[in-house]
Parts: sequence; C-alpha cells; structure tokens
Amino acid sequence: MILIGVVCLPLLTYGADRFVDLLYERDIVLPIPSGDYILRIVVQACLYMLLALGLNIVPGFTGLLDLGYVGFYLVGGYTAGLLMARLGWSYWIALPLAAIHGAIWGLLRGAPTLRLTGDYFAIVTFGFSELLFRVVKNEEWLIGGPNGFVNDIPPPTLFGYEIYKYWQQYYHILILLALTILVVYRLQNSRVGRAWAAIREDERAAESMGINLREYKSIAFAVSAAIGAVGGAFFAQFQVNISAGAFEFWESIFILCMIVLGGVGNIKGAIIGAGILASLGELLRIIPFGGARYLIFGIILILIMRFRPAGLLSMRQQN
Amino acid sequence: MKNRARSTVLLVICVVTFVMIMGFSLAGCENRNEIKIAVAGPFTGSVAAFGEMIKRGAELKAKEINAAGGVNGKTLTLLFEDDTGKEKEAGLVAQRIAGNRQILAVVGHFNSACSLAGKPIYQRAGIVELSPGSTNIKVCEGSDWTFRNLYRDDFQGAFVAKYIKNVLGENQKVVIFFDNDDYGRGLKDGFTEVAEQLGLEIIATEAYDRDNTDFKAQLTSIKAKHPHLIFISGLYSQAGLIASQAREAGITAQLFGADGVDSPDFLEIAGDAAEGTYVSTPFVFELGGPEAQRMAMAFEEAYGIAPDTWAALTYDAVGMIVEAIEKGGENRKAIRDHLASINSPEKGYTGITGLTYFDENGDCAKPAYVKIVENGRFVPAAEQMLGME
Amino acid sequence: MSQFLEQIINGLVLGGIYALIAVGYTMVYGIIQLINFAHGEIFMFGAYFAFLCVTTFGLSFWFALPLSMSLCALMGMLIDFVAYRPLRNAPRLSALITAIGMSLVLQNLARLIWGARWRKFPAEATPALLTGNAISLPGGAQVSFLDIFIILLAVGLMIGLNRLIYLTKIGKAMRACAQNRVAANLMGIDTNRVITVTFAIGSALGAVAGVMVGLREVTEPAMGYYKGVAAFAAAVLGGIGNITGAMFGGVILGVAEALGAGYISSEYRLAIAYIIMILVIIFRPSGLLGKSTTTRA
Repeated sequence: MILIGVVCLPLLTYGADRFVDLLYERDIVLPIPSGDYILRIVVQACLYMLLALGLNIVPGFTGLLDLGYVGFYLVGGYTAGLLMARLGWSYWIALPLAAIHGAIWGLLRGAPTLRLTGDYFAIVTFGFSELLFRVVKNEEWLIGGPNGFVNDIPPPTLFGYEIYKYWQQYYHILILLALTILVVYRLQNSRVGRAWAAIREDERAAESMGINLREYKSIAFAVSAAIGAVGGAFFAQFQVNISAGAFEFWESIFILCMIVLGGVGNIKGAIIGAGILASLGELLRIIPFGGARYLIFGIILILIMRFRPAGLLSMRQQN
Repeated sequence: MKNRARSTVLLVICVVTFVMIMGFSLAGCENRNEIKIAVAGPFTGSVAAFGEMIKRGAELKAKEINAAGGVNGKTLTLLFEDDTGKEKEAGLVAQRIAGNRQILAVVGHFNSACSLAGKPIYQRAGIVELSPGSTNIKVCEGSDWTFRNLYRDDFQGAFVAKYIKNVLGENQKVVIFFDNDDYGRGLKDGFTEVAEQLGLEIIATEAYDRDNTDFKAQLTSIKAKHPHLIFISGLYSQAGLIASQAREAGITAQLFGADGVDSPDFLEIAGDAAEGTYVSTPFVFELGGPEAQRMAMAFEEAYGIAPDTWAALTYDAVGMIVEAIEKGGENRKAIRDHLASINSPEKGYTGITGLTYFDENGDCAKPAYVKIVENGRFVPAAEQMLGME
Repeated sequence: MSQFLEQIINGLVLGGIYALIAVGYTMVYGIIQLINFAHGEIFMFGAYFAFLCVTTFGLSFWFALPLSMSLCALMGMLIDFVAYRPLRNAPRLSALITAIGMSLVLQNLARLIWGARWRKFPAEATPALLTGNAISLPGGAQVSFLDIFIILLAVGLMIGLNRLIYLTKIGKAMRACAQNRVAANLMGIDTNRVITVTFAIGSALGAVAGVMVGLREVTEPAMGYYKGVAAFAAAVLGGIGNITGAMFGGVILGVAEALGAGYISSEYRLAIAYIIMILVIIFRPSGLLGKSTTTRA
C-alpha cells in the first residue's frame, strides 16, 4: 500500500494540481500547495534519506562518530558538477566517477584515522571536511567561480530527453535510494556487516576474534563516502547552480541528527529520521512568526530526544 | 495485517494534515482585491541582519503604496519567504513561490547563491525574480526572467579601480582585503583585473571569513607592507570592525569600500575609525532628490534606524514591480515584458536609488557615486566620476 | 621581527579566548562525555549580557563582567537541568543531538530578542584602563592594553581554575567524577551537584571570553559558532577531558591561526590551525595530554 503510494506520488500531485486548476477557473481557490513544491520537498527528503543511509554506516554500523560527512557530499557534488558543466560529460559517466572519487577520499581519510577512537576521530573528520570546504571556496582556478560557484550544470539526458522535471527527478532519486537501501541492507546482513557490528560492540574483542580492523573499517569508510558522493552528484544536477555554501559543517550535523533521531544503526530509522527532519523545516513555515522557525526546530529535536532517547526506532526494535 | 492497516491510516492522516497545513500557510483566504508579491531573503540565519533591512524596505514601500490607494485599486500584499541565506532552502522557497499562482512576482533573493538557486525554477515557472542584493556576475545570465537593480561585481570593482587611479592618484600601493564569500571575491576579481590594466600596484591580497570577527592577524601583516590604500571588499559589519581594528593597530592607510559598506551600521561599528573612508554606491540620499530624503526620514521614523543600501534597493524593487503591474498587466508574463522593455535611460525607472534600466541580460546599468565619511556622516565626495562606462 | 612578535600576541589573545571557551567544553566532557554544542551560545549570551548591562542599564563594566558571569553560570545550570539531566543515562549521541537542538534554540532566541545587527561595545562604557593606546615593545611591536589584559585575565583564570580543581574539595569531587562517575557516586559524592557546578564554572568562563570578544571585537547572535567550533577543536587537540590540555590546545590553535593567516595564507586561516590539529591527533591519538580511552560514539 505504502509502496504503491510512493510510486504513484507524482500522479497524485499531478491530479491535485489539475483539480485545483479546474476550480481556479471557476473562481474557487483551494488552499493546497502546488504539486511541484511538494515534490521538491519530497525529492530533497529522499536525498537526505540517501545521505543518512550513507552516514549511518560509520557511526551506526562501526560505532565511530563522523562529523565530516559533508566532505564526501561535497566531493561528489563538485566532481559531477565540474565534469558536467565545464567538460560537458554525461551525467551517467559523472555519477559513477563521483562515487569512485568519493570512495577514494573515504579511504584517504580513513588511512590515518584507523587507530583513532571516539571524539578524536570525530574532530579529525570535521577538520577534513572543513579543509575540503576551504579548497572549493578558495581555489577559483579549479572551480571556475568565486566561492565555489559552479553554474548551469546541465540536466542529465536519457534516451535523448532531458531529465529535469520534478516527477522525473523524483523517480531518479527513488531509484538511487532503492539501490542504496539494497546495498546497505545486503551489507548489514553479510559477513562484512557482522564484522562491523563486532567492531562497534568491542573493537578489541573483534580484533582478537580475527577480524581485520583495518580492512573492515576501510570498507565502511569507502562505502559510506561513495554513497555521500552519489548524493552530491544528484544534488549538483538537481540544484543546477551550486556554491560552497551548500556544503557547510551544519549539513554534517543535520544528517547526523537524522540518524540519531531515527535510531543509530537502524536502516528504517535513518530513512524515517531523514524524512522527518528534511521536511520539518518546510512544515514549520506555517508559523506566522517566521523568525522562530529554527527555534522551534531546536525545541522539537530536544523533545524527541527527551522522550525517545534511543531514537524513534531503536536498534532493539529492529531485531 | 492489522499493523499494516494501521500504518497506512497513519500515513494518510500525516499526508492530509501536511497538505492542509501547507495550504493554509500558503494561501489563507483568497481575496481577489489583493495583489500578491513575494519577498524572498535571509530573514533568519547568519545574514539575517540584511534580511531585516530588506523586509523593512519592502514593508515601507508597500505601506506607502497602499496608503496611496494600492495597485490598480487593489491592496498590495507582500509575502515574506525566508531562504535563511542557504541555496538549498532557497530552492524550496523558489518552488513554493513559483507554484503559488496568486503570486505575481518575486523581489529577491539577497545572496547570489540563493538567486542562482532560484533562477532555473523561476525561469521554468515563468515568474520574475528581481534581486535587490545579488551581485555575482552570473545571476542574470541566460534567464529572461531574472533581473536585478544593483551592479554586478565586475562593474563596481572596475569603477573603484578607475576612481582610485583617476582621483586618488597613480602611485597608490593598494592592499585588497576581501570577504571570503561570493560578494567579496567577485568584487575583488573585478577590481584586480582592471587595477592591473590601469597599472595600480596591488601589493597584497588578504582574505577574511564572514563569520569571524577578529582581523588582527591579517591587519598586522597588511601593516607591515605599508599600503597607501586598503580596498575592503566586503560587507558593512565586518568593514566597520576592520576599520576600527586597523586604526587600533596603527594603520593609517586610506580605506575604500564598495556598496556593501554603505550603511549607517558601518559608521556605528567603526566609530571614529570610519572618518575619511571612501565608499562607492549606486545612490546618495543627499543627491537622490527630495524623494530619497523623504524615504530616509520615513524609514527612520518607522524603524528607529536609518536605511541601508539594501533597504533602499528593496524599496525600489517593490516599486518597480508595482509599476510593471500597473503599466504591463496583472500577470506574470506582462510584468516580465514590462521590465524587459526598460532597456534605456529614457525608459528607466526613477527610484530613490537613482535611475534603473536593464541590459539584455537583466543586469542593471546605473551610475555609481562615491561618498566619503566626514564628521561621522556619509557625504558625497568632492569629485565624482559620472558617465564613466 | 616586530611583525612576528605582534602576530604571536594576536595568537595569544585568540588562544586565551579559545582556552577560556575550551575549558567549558572539556570540563563537561570530562564528567558526562557530552560535547556541549550549546556552549558557544553561552559564550554569545555572555557577550550580550555584558553589552545590555552597560548600555540599557548603564552599569559600570567592572560590575557588568561578574554579573554576566553569574547569569551565564545560571544559564548553564538551567540548560543542564532542563535538557541534559533527563538524558544522563541515554546513548551519548542522543545527548549530543539535544545539545545541538539547544544551540539552535539559543541562537535563534538571541536573534529574536536582540536582532541580527552587530553591536559594538560603546566606547564610553569601556573602562579607561582598557582603552589606552598601544604600548610599544622592544623591536617596535605594538600591543594594546586590552590585548594584554585579555592574556593576563585568561592566564589568571586558568591558574585559578587549576587551583580550584586540585586544591578544593569540590575540585576533588570533580576529578573523581571524571574518573568514574558511578564509583564517585558510590563513594558518597553527589554527582548531580558536581555536574551542576561544572556547568556553572564552564559557563562563567565562557561568559568571560564572550565579554572580552564583545569588548575587543563585536557582539552578534552568530558569534558563538566560529569561536565555539575552534575552541572545541582546541579542547580535543589538548586531549578532551583534560583541563590543562584545553588551555594548551587553545593557545596552540590561536597562535597557529594567527601565524597561518599572517605568513601562509589568510584564505586558509583556520584551516591551517585544523591541519596542525589533525597532525597532532594522528600522531598522538588521544590529544596532547589526554589519557588513552576506548570511548565510542
């Protein structure tokens, strides 16, 4: 039932739009937001679901706090954006290249941080993403514009058609999301996933049971980074014009909030958490007193954590 | 099975509430005697100070229009949409506005990144985006629906470089101190290009972060280079602080800012250190005629502080859209066509920020003025460089 | 040479401010393993309280400073009581999210109450002692009285805090809680009281940093972010949970930032400080002075 709803959503919004049109011609105005607006919110929420799933691998599966996830998102966004806008490459080549590029950075970041634990790992990941952020902001020769501006990223084409309408973007992200869920789910229930869980529960015990920490942590970093980069590549073509401002530290925090809200390490939880937080900001626009929007956002975060300290879906519920 | 039914019901309830709530926030009750314009800007977030002024400028203009009988006899209603200065939110805001058929045009956004995020959306939906704050070169390029009523970075950077050379003398040793963000960088690039052609000696280029408030480290290294002039390519709050910290550090060089510095808050934050600073600007309240001075008075009366550049530019942007509605027609296309037809000085819109008209991109060509701070006030500089193209 | 000396002093001033904030992070972390993201906002409120005291209420600066400290201490305790105490036994990440939520709430609250404009400390309210012009050091370097005052104040407070931790009973209790909260509780230490006191002290020191930044630079709602993040990095660099480490971390980060901006590239000002931080942590995986731990997220 939910699946059908998800697949048919663009149809629903299309129908609603036409219905409103019909009434509008008869001078009746229904207070219903346009379908494109809702679809845009949904597409962005799906993008965050994908990112949350990617981030979830590191803190959720291996137990390391990652505060620099936005770095991979940035790598993906700029790899795809520059390849497409500056070199005119096809999105379908740029997307996998972005993922590979992201994975490389994941490994690069992972190599020196393998023996770090807890908050030392967290602050190094933060410093790492901040460095990448500075590079795209400052190096105009590389990016081609001030402050990381990459303009007019062309829409991807499929069978000669340009994909830019919201319903097309919606299916586009839905497919990427479904693939990600598949990958993450398969990984979690594989040998690799069990090794991660062992590392999360007790690193030393895992090591003494013969789990190669270096290898399994590296896999986690690479997969997580690649998913982040895919999200970035999608974002680049969706947003058309990107700048460094979209990849600030706050984004890392925002995505982290999503997975904690949903329940760390829980796939369904990450999806639900991302869905809630990504649309909450828009939902809160109803407050007539606009300045209080993020104040209430903060209060909601506090309240959810107060009453569901282990997240909406805790790990136990899943098993 | 029962579980599934329950979750379906829950989902449906969620979706319905969502739609209802969103809808009410969008439209409320329809009133055919209203003309609706959206004003999009950073009303919260780290650049909210600019959003506040934009909001006030727009509100003041709307109040005056409605007091004078409205637009074609209808009430002008402004819908303020907060993009928080972030492009991701700007995309959502843009779609929210574009999808609401009652909104005829958009005044906004402030940040170039936000205007650029909105550009493809407004273009596809066919609604005018008139920015009172985005100066990046690319903002209006390639879209018929995007306009702005202030200069591009490259125009203003070139203007400042030429002014320095023509008025302040040839042998200036210049340091550029720029805001490491789109505005400061774009302006710096425009300035550097022309300054090099003109043979101005740029002895150093330093950057600062917009959210930092300590500039001593950069200023210390600037001081060691003994510049004649420091071009502050940034916004007024930081510029005010830079001026005061520079004077504290013992730097006596001439300070020069662009329109981003032209604000009463610059004077307030810099205090005595502002004295003698040059600022290039699209308008001067003193030279803007009685209308500009009346607006400045009314603004100060309403909000207790003097208007800044963006309040004035937004004031004019609302005025331009309203004029387009009155002369063109009450639909999105007519507004665009009217704005596009303002393409020469004769047809230009005379607002408090001077004469505005657009080129084929939708960028505006406006004369630039230079002001200087004297006795804690901005006054027109003795030498102007008008008619310079 | 004079330039180098001036940069070092710029760095020390920054370092002193970072250290004052970092101590707040590290003390709270040491006891309840929480990265208190709202601490940067307390720093900001400290600046605002002092600003309001001298402008709206016309108080003297020397009265405004302790008043702001006590108000912030109260605020810190209140935040702990309302937001963090219910989550004492919850997963660590949940408390982190609460802290992030708190930070959002406080920052937006400040913006709603005081507006987003930058406020410069009025010159007439600045005590005469601190407005004096630059004094010259040998070699031609110039330092302002305020900068010297900030460095001295930071050093003084750090020494005071150090004495408090190592010589008083409450300090002893704090160290006990940092080692093992449950065991400390079993030994008859009222851990909740210790935590409250920790929040109070950390917040008061943060307020001092806020007032100093307000005096030297400016007061605005977003000011807590930039310096707060840098100070957190300083706390981790020094070994999180270790108070002396936080002081050193702050100074190292501040000096690295000033020298980096002055001699390498101002575009990468803080980034250079972060590179140094990353290098230190990679080669000393538990910070400069931290004990090695097996904490996890």
